[in-house]
Amino acid sequence: MPVRTPRQRRILARVAPEQFVGRGEQLRELTALGSPRAEQRGVLLFASPQSGVSELLRQTFDELFRQRGGPAPVYFAFTRADAATTAAARRFLQTFLTQVVAHRRDDPALVSATPTLRTLLDLAAPQDYEWVERLIQDFERAQGEGDERALIRLCLGAPQQAAAHGARAVVMFDDLQAAEGLRGEVSLGPAVAQSAAQWGVPFVVAGPRRRLLDLLNGSLPLAALEGLRKIHLDRLKEADASALVEGLAQRLGVTLNDETRDLVVQQLEASPYLIAALLDAAHTKGKGLTGFREFLSLYVDELLGGRVGRRYAAVLEEVAAAPALRRALLRVLYEAATNPSSKSPAEVWMKRLGADVHEFDRVVRLLHMHELANFHATYVETTPSAPWRDFLRASYRLQVAAEPRALVVADTLVETLKRAPQTMARHYRRESALGLGRVMRAFNFQSVPVSLLRYDRWARTYRGLAREEARAGLATETDTLPLPQVVHAASCASFHPPMRQLCDEERCTVAHGFETGGYNAGGEVVWIAAEVESKLEAGRALAELWLDRLEQVSQACGFERARFWLVSREGFSADAAELLSERDAYGSCREQLEHLAALLSSEGEGAGEGGADEFAIELPMLEDTELIAAHTVEQIARRMEFQPEAINQIKTALVEACINAAEHSLSTERKIYNRFRVEDDKLVITVSSRGLAVPVTLPENGVADKNGGEGAKGRRGWGLKLIRTLMDDVEFERVDDGTRLRMTKYLRK
Amino acid sequence: MSEPLAAAPKAELCELVAVVYAGDYVNKLSGQRIERECLTRMERGCRALVINFRDTELVNSIGVSILLGVIDEAERRGARVAFTNVSLHTLKLFELLGLTRLVLLADSDESALATLEEFSAQPNGH
Repeated sequence: MPVRTPRQRRILARVAPEQFVGRGEQLRELTALGSPRAEQRGVLLFASPQSGVSELLRQTFDELFRQRGGPAPVYFAFTRADAATTAAARRFLQTFLTQVVAHRRDDPALVSATPTLRTLLDLAAPQDYEWVERLIQDFERAQGEGDERALIRLCLGAPQQAAAHGARAVVMFDDLQAAEGLRGEVSLGPAVAQSAAQWGVPFVVAGPRRRLLDLLNGSLPLAALEGLRKIHLDRLKEADASALVEGLAQRLGVTLNDETRDLVVQQLEASPYLIAALLDAAHTKGKGLTGFREFLSLYVDELLGGRVGRRYAAVLEEVAAAPALRRALLRVLYEAATNPSSKSPAEVWMKRLGADVHEFDRVVRLLHMHELANFHATYVETTPSAPWRDFLRASYRLQVAAEPRALVVADTLVETLKRAPQTMARHYRRESALGLGRVMRAFNFQSVPVSLLRYDRWARTYRGLAREEARAGLATETDTLPLPQVVHAASCASFHPPMRQLCDEERCTVAHGFETGGYNAGGEVVWIAAEVESKLEAGRALAELWLDRLEQVSQACGFERARFWLVSREGFSADAAELLSERDAYGSCREQLEHLAALLSSEGEGAGEGGADEFAIELPMLEDTELIAAHTVEQIARRMEFQPEAINQIKTALVEACINAAEHSLSTERKIYNRFRVEDDKLVITVSSRGLAVPVTLPENGVADKNGGEGAKGRRGWGLKLIRTLMDDVEFERVDDGTRLRMTKYLRK
Repeated sequence: MSEPLAAAPKAELCELVAVVYAGDYVNKLSGQRIERECLTRMERGCRALVINFRDTELVNSIGVSILLGVIDEAERRGARVAFTNVSLHTLKLFELLGLTRLVLLADSDESALATLEEFSAQPNGH
């Protein structure tokens, strides 16, 4: 007989635990707050719009409730319906007592009930009776006295009171932003965050990320924030969003096909809230999602009269309660959205809204918080979210232009249908993009075979070889190219908007970085990389066109030193490769890029943690201690069966590296760290020290010149030259403090 | 670690030529010992110096710079310097840094002495 797992009962959650997807990591972290061994006592949950933060908290509540013997979960969501701060505080006290008593009695049904305070007292467990009674009496007294501050302090202090009597709780506040529009003397948002931080009770404060950031950056004293864990909740990953759509469709009995599922995810921008709303609407209306038309028809209905539209409308009402202001706001939002740059000067907005400075400030700050617009002090920009812009366009036509509803509905449906194939095409292009930004972020001062960035060399040596053969060949290449460390990479269009017209954002990336030698102006470099679309080898004309474009970007952005890198799936024709060479640009095909990505990630891992075949010693900077390193490496090199001459070279190079570290670092800890990584075909030695960075180009005298007239000073500074001569690869890796020299000797038996 | 240096007995046989033995590791400290010994010998009238590297496994760049100082000083005083019993690795290092252009290289002290005695017999200032 098959074993059946009993379905876990939902208490506050709206989705069954097994159908709650994409938030496993955050859920684990929040439920861990209930553990007595939890390192974190407070969490700030920064939620992006419609990211499903409330469901995450409700799932956490259910999970903690089911864990008997642990602290009682308490979930409290602020709402503008409370109107006043005292009402919100009173409701918090009631919610807190209800949920704690429910947990202590193991009575989940009580959670959704609304018992009076006196009823709760009757229901309280004997060991809780005393503190619950005192809390209620204190509350009734404070309420009678009419002291708002005292009442709020008392209500918000309930978790602390309960904990003092052994009734531990994990308190979760949701929708913190709603606490701020409430009437009253006390600014409840900061008060809640500050009180919670002082309780000594585990808590979560969740709200729109931009509002929480404002709190962090101003309204709250820093001491209240120390030690708080900050979790960012973004939109779902596309795979998780697909799983959510499928799970909901199955649960709600909505028929669905794969193509429509993918469009749902793309059109609704993987938002759990929007997906749930659409699937719920399909269920309610008995409609299937078996084609683009069915889905988009439902989408337009939802946008113009359903839950999605009401949600946007509610936010607009909150932002601009007066109809005239709301109408003006719709107009400027719509106009900004249709403006190619989406931006308008703040003064224009203020004038068009007919608002004074304070009103304007309030409006744009609320729009900014809800991420319906971005306010950057001098200009305002409408957020480029497709559902939001669809809502805006339709609402403008209905409410401002007063167009017939049927026309607006029809046009919106037609437009979204026409856009659907483009939406999917963009998705496919994004998915198939080669990820130049990701590759460049992994550069990190590593050196790679030149063949990976010079297509002509690649074509000469590796084209047509099996992947493994090419990999083996690359591993023995000694002609290497030092890559910079990329400190920032973003789409080219975000630097130079006209590029949006020429290619997808993912396919052209600008990466700012530094070449080996430290973070100084001389080492600054900008790499601009673009994926060139060509089914065959890209020809000279195409390569030239792209190099010109990248050159224009560089000039428009004022980059002083730029390197251009073109990537074409099938590589470049001979004359295109020649052009790249003439213009000192790099060129790679897809296969080169894949080798490069694999190499960068494996070298990054190797350099970081050290594998099983890595030896490490730490030397004090004392007289002759470099000999200990030399003897150690001699033993390792012998085991690897290096030739005696090579062993001597390695020893000498290592001695020189240690001397450099000791002489130049001015290290206060006076230590040299040596690592010896044994690989199949090479020995990689890193010598690092803290302190001053050893100059990458120490004065090199070349050969001894007894007529140089520089005395002893003129005879020094040969260490690096020796190292470079004796070893196969030598490079300085960038470290924040001090110097790390990496030297490689290849095994030639 | 470097071994203590000792002036070679052969230096006593011929006042004009001294043989100085380098230790296993020619670094700053042992280089300075070689330098001191060579200067002392030159001050006593030696016109030629033989530095024997038979025990030398490693030479570092500081050691090389001190050897160069010795060569400079010897030239200033009109003396000549020979290196003997230099291992292949050390020889390559000296070549790399240009030292081999400045000294006489010999397989043994005997052959170096033969050449240098010839030189030292010539009038000073040659």
